[in-house]
Order: sequence, then C-alpha cells, then structure tokens
Amino acid sequence: MTPDPDERDLRLAEYVLGTLPPAERAAVDLELAVDPTARAAREAWERRLAPLALAAPEVPPGPEVWPAIARAVAGDGAGHRAAAANDDRIGALQGAVWRWRLAAGTAAALAAGLALFIAVGEPRPGDGDGRYIAVVNSGGEAPALLVSIDTRAGTARVRPVGAQAPAGHSLELWYVGAGEPPKTLGLVGSDAKGLILPAKADALAGGTFAVSVEPEGGSPTGLPTGPVVYSGKLIRE
Amino acid sequence: MQGTTRAREEDAQPLRASPLRDGAVADDPSRTDVALADLIADIARRDATALRTLYDRTAPKLLGVILRIQTDRGMAEDVLQEVYLRVWQKAASYSPAAGRPLAWLCSIARNRAIDGVRRRQEVQGPVTEDGEDWVERLVDPHDSEGTILGRDALRACLGRLEAMHRDCIVLAYCEGQSREDLALRYDRPVSTIKTWLHRGLATLRGCLDGVA
Repeated sequence: MTPDPDERDLRLAEYVLGTLPPAERAAVDLELAVDPTARAAREAWERRLAPLALAAPEVPPGPEVWPAIARAVAGDGAGHRAAAANDDRIGALQGAVWRWRLAAGTAAALAAGLALFIAVGEPRPGDGDGRYIAVVNSGGEAPALLVSIDTRAGTARVRPVGAQAPAGHSLELWYVGAGEPPKTLGLVGSDAKGLILPAKADALAGGTFAVSVEPEGGSPTGLPTGPVVYSGKLIRE
Repeated sequence: MQGTTRAREEDAQPLRASPLRDGAVADDPSRTDVALADLIADIARRDATALRTLYDRTAPKLLGVILRIQTDRGMAEDVLQEVYLRVWQKAASYSPAAGRPLAWLCSIARNRAIDGVRRRQEVQGPVTEDGEDWVERLVDPHDSEGTILGRDALRACLGRLEAMHRDCIVLAYCEGQSREDLALRYDRPVSTIKTWLHRGLATLRGCLDGVA
C-alpha cells in the first residue's frame, strides 16, 4: 500500500476537526506519538483553524473549578517535591480525585516523559534469536521492555521488564510503517512471548514500534484505542 | 456565500462582558503572547501561582471553547479542570512552534472536549447556531486576538468554500459535530460528509497557504 500524503494530511485535518471515527482517532494518536512529521502537519492545521476557536464567546467558570485544580496541584507538590522531573509530571496527575478521570492523561505523560530507543544488536554465532532489540529509557535505568527479533522465523519476543499494564488492562505492541496504519504484533504478556512480525525484519527498520494501553485482552477494534505509553525505532548497530 | 462577508446586526450582541478580555489579555497582542508564554514557562518550573494567573486570564475563553462542544455545563467544567491539570503537566513541552500560547491552550481544550464526547459516543444535541454564525463571529470587532491570528485570511478563505462544505467544517470544529451528526443534519450518507469535509479542507489549505 502506497500511502497518499494528501490523504494523510486530510486525516490529520479531520483529527484536528474532531470528525475521525474513534478507532481512526486513536490510530492517529499513535501516529502523533511516534512521528514528528505527523505532529508538524497537525500543528499546521491547528494554526489554520485557530481563529475559529479564539472566536468562542467567553464564559466565566463557576467558583468551585479553581479550588479543585488547586487541590490536585497542591497534592502533587507535597508528594513529589523531591522527585525527578519526569516523575513529577506524572505525579501531577496522581491526586486521588483525578486518578480515574485522568487515567488516559497519565499514560500520555509516561509517553512524553520516557524517551525510549531501541537498539538492534548484531546476530551472534550460535544465537538462536538472531537479533536483539532492547528498549531502554533515556535515563539509562532498567529497560521497560526487551524485544528480540528472530529474522529467520519472522517472530518477535517481548519481555516486559519495567513495563506494567494498569489493572484490568493489557499492553499491546504495534508496528507503524511510514504513513501506514498501525499493525498489532500482539499483547505484551507477563512472560516472554512470541509475536508474529508483519513483514520481513529488514523492512521493519523504517517503522516505529509502540506500546499502547488497551482493554484486557487487547484492542477490540484492531487499531490502538488507548494511549501510547512507549515508542521506539529500530536502530542498526 | 455572501453570508460570510455580510456584517449582521444580531451578531453585535453583548457576549463579552468579562473585564478580563479587554484588559491585560487583549490590548497588546505581542505583550499578551509574551506574558502568557512567560506564565507557561513559570508553570513548567512548578509555579502554582503562575497557573492561577494563567487560569484567571484564560479560563473564560477556554470554557467558551469547551461549551460549544460539551454543552453540559458540569461536564464542561470537568473538562476545564482536566485542561489546566494537563497544562500543569505539559507546560515544559510548550514551544512557540506549537502555536501562540492562547491557541495552544484552545487546542488542548478542544481536544479534551472532543475526546470526552466521542468516548461517550454522544450524539450532539440540537445545533443552536448554524455554521455561518460561527464564521460571523470572526468579524466581531471586539475580538481583538483574532486580528493577529490570521482571522481575516481564514474568513476570506472559508468564504470561498461551497456553503455546505464550509458549514460542515465549521460545525465540526466549533461544536464537535461528528460525521454522523452532520449526515443526519444534511440527510446525506456519512461517506458524502467525509467527501465534503475533505474537499473543503483541501481547498481551505490551498487558500490559506497561498495567502501566507
């Protein structure tokens, strides 16, 4: 499938308008999380249409709105003052009142706060798995996920290390080729698990891997429906 | 078509009584952008006082944006709270490339509001104003931010679209109407609405990028 750049730009325009069906909207969320050119196209549409938003009539909020915000922010400051910047940003959402309402936002914060990369090691003689891919966060702490790809069998094995799915949810691994819709590689289990690759491993290097939070058992639609919590590209050594 | 350029008496209604809008926010556009961007930078440094100031200056505008989409007042205020917590959380990621500060805030507000109504699969209530009315607001003489934000260009380019394409775009953007809502409104298949949206958006893009 050859992606049509005009079609893609109009999909992002409809994302900004808000008219995409939910599954497509979630797929674009994933695209935006992993693709800077998609983000630039969205920003261009935001700029084009912004005057219509700014023309909205002003409506003063009720007196109880600010105190609720202040409470959530104050709870954050007290509990996380000594935490690192990334943790702090996540902590901002963890006031008890906001935990459930903002579950999606929390996961999005994880995606923003954890810059990840994936490294592909050279196959070693006698090594059955062929190539190793490690997902490591930018601070050099323990990796969130270890992904190893077997180029001969066309499968990937994913072992979560630091990654945890929220209760009642599953983590699902996706592959996003340039300008293509995301393809599921399957669920990230608590044990190492083999997942079938969508294409030849050599062709995978141009795309992006991403992990989204899905309902237990995986996305019901075949496209990501939850926020993207990790993403990374293959890098050849 | 003519409706977009015609000045209409009934649009001069006194909708903007807030003292905020004609004070620090609106008068000096460049200082406003700088002032709001400074506040966002302070918020990124965990300055809760700056968040309060930003809230005081911008919350009525953002609630107005949200209420056009989420018409339930209580739910709209919930969305407003989420928006400022998101700003608290995301302030460090703001850069001028993402748009002017107020436009950036409005885009967060629109996104949260639309996510909310789509998640609940709500069919939008009866449309209270037609798309043209929102376009008319672009010529509101009191709307001083608009003058510096490509308002005139957008109005001119919207005026060149076929009326129904334009109305679909404006109703979707301003009121959060979905393709299905618009299909009901115009008694056309959803696929036709998608085609209208795409044609209108492509024409709009060509017109605006040509002007810029």
